[in-house]
Amino acid sequence: MTPIHYNHKMGAHCESGTVTSLLNHAGLTISEPMVFGIASGIFFGYFHKHKSFTFPTFIVRSRPGDIRKNIQKRLGVKFQTFSFKKEQDGIEKLNELLSQGIPVASQVDFYYMDYVPSWERAHINVHFMVVIGKEGSAYIVSDSYFPKPERVNEESLRRGRFAGGNMSPKGFLFYPKYVPSEVDLRKPILKGIDKACFNMLKLPVPFIGIKGIRLFAKRVVDWPKFARDSEHLSHEVMKINILLEDQGTGGAGFRFMYATFLQQASEIVNNPELKELSTELMTIGDGWREISLFAARIGKNRDLGAGKMKELSDLIMDRAEVEEKFFKKLKKSIK
Amino acid sequence: MKEKEGFVDCPEQQMILYVEKEDGQFGPMQTGSFITKNYIDDYFDKRNNLVTSLRDQINRDEISPVKFFMILEDLTLKELSARTRIPMRNIKKHLLPPHFVKLSEELLQRYATVFNITAEQLKKAIPTTELLNDEPAKL
Repeated sequence: MTPIHYNHKMGAHCESGTVTSLLNHAGLTISEPMVFGIASGIFFGYFHKHKSFTFPTFIVRSRPGDIRKNIQKRLGVKFQTFSFKKEQDGIEKLNELLSQGIPVASQVDFYYMDYVPSWERAHINVHFMVVIGKEGSAYIVSDSYFPKPERVNEESLRRGRFAGGNMSPKGFLFYPKYVPSEVDLRKPILKGIDKACFNMLKLPVPFIGIKGIRLFAKRVVDWPKFARDSEHLSHEVMKINILLEDQGTGGAGFRFMYATFLQQASEIVNNPELKELSTELMTIGDGWREISLFAARIGKNRDLGAGKMKELSDLIMDRAEVEEKFFKKLKKSIK
Repeated sequence: MKEKEGFVDCPEQQMILYVEKEDGQFGPMQTGSFITKNYIDDYFDKRNNLVTSLRDQINRDEISPVKFFMILEDLTLKELSARTRIPMRNIKKHLLPPHFVKLSEELLQRYATVFNITAEQLKKAIPTTELLNDEPAKL
């Protein structure tokens, strides 16, 4: 099978990177921050106890799949989607689409992707990438986390696509079926900002948005109770750095990418206030970056006594205060 | 974050970071992972200590290889059950050596598939990382 001519590009995040590259391939010029912002990707959620997580954790982006759904709704793009009860049907559909020259996004458990180094692997059922061809027993994939297209064995891709568990992919595939040649971004930008502000400020769930950041700050001091030993605690505290910086966020838990969106949006909707807010969010992101570095440092040094955990908690609580003010101003700026 | 402050030289793990460019515009920059660059040795030290500690527990007949891999791969009982399609109450038994040794080849294979290893690796508690030999220092 001849690989599809596809312009591989790295992205900050797997879902927004995948959606952006598919839209670009279909002829719509749009940046990843614009896709992320219009889709209201910025978020916060804290999970102190969850049956699918072995340790308390947090998320910094909206529910997987929402970026694609919101882009479809707000830009008038139509995505063709497939999920499968039978594995064989899913494998055949992917091969059929590739033979028609259609690059197709696939949802997988990241853990099974052969090209991912061992230290980066984790069972995450919501990784997205674009399959662009098949050569022998390997698929060629454009994964926005990697600098060049990679190869994944067909058995590994099958395991990844049909992994069970929380948010099981069920072989999920999608590609854009209809993409308008021109899109007026003004209304989608405002809608995206409005919904992001609602999620961060008003969503009536105690562990989501600003309330979630506050809960994280309050509960992080309890993390030692959940750890097997000091090395386990060190590992989990250092994962704060990974979740904010390395797991496809564009830095500072998506705050830097959202600031970029606001800067681009300010010109399109002709609102200078958004530009000022983009600069403010960049500074807020620097504060999240400080938390990342602090967590990595105290984890490495095993300096995880009550005093340091309180210091970490204070840094997080400070982000809650500044982000609450920021999102209130952001909401006001688009009224 | 200014562009020059964000750059990390780590070819083993590249990523996109959004930064403020010199002209004041925000945009993407390809860079490396700070934590991989600076702390990967610590990650492997902890991982190796965990493997040693869990193997000691296997040798003392306190845990089975299923528990060994469940901890290494950071899976909860509920997740492992959903992924293997083995009821949680059965998995609880398989975490203990006396029940593990009685497992059928079919059940061993189901666990092995989820852990992305062979049934032989499962029985001997050999994680794939030991076979991959891909620590950055060895690259």
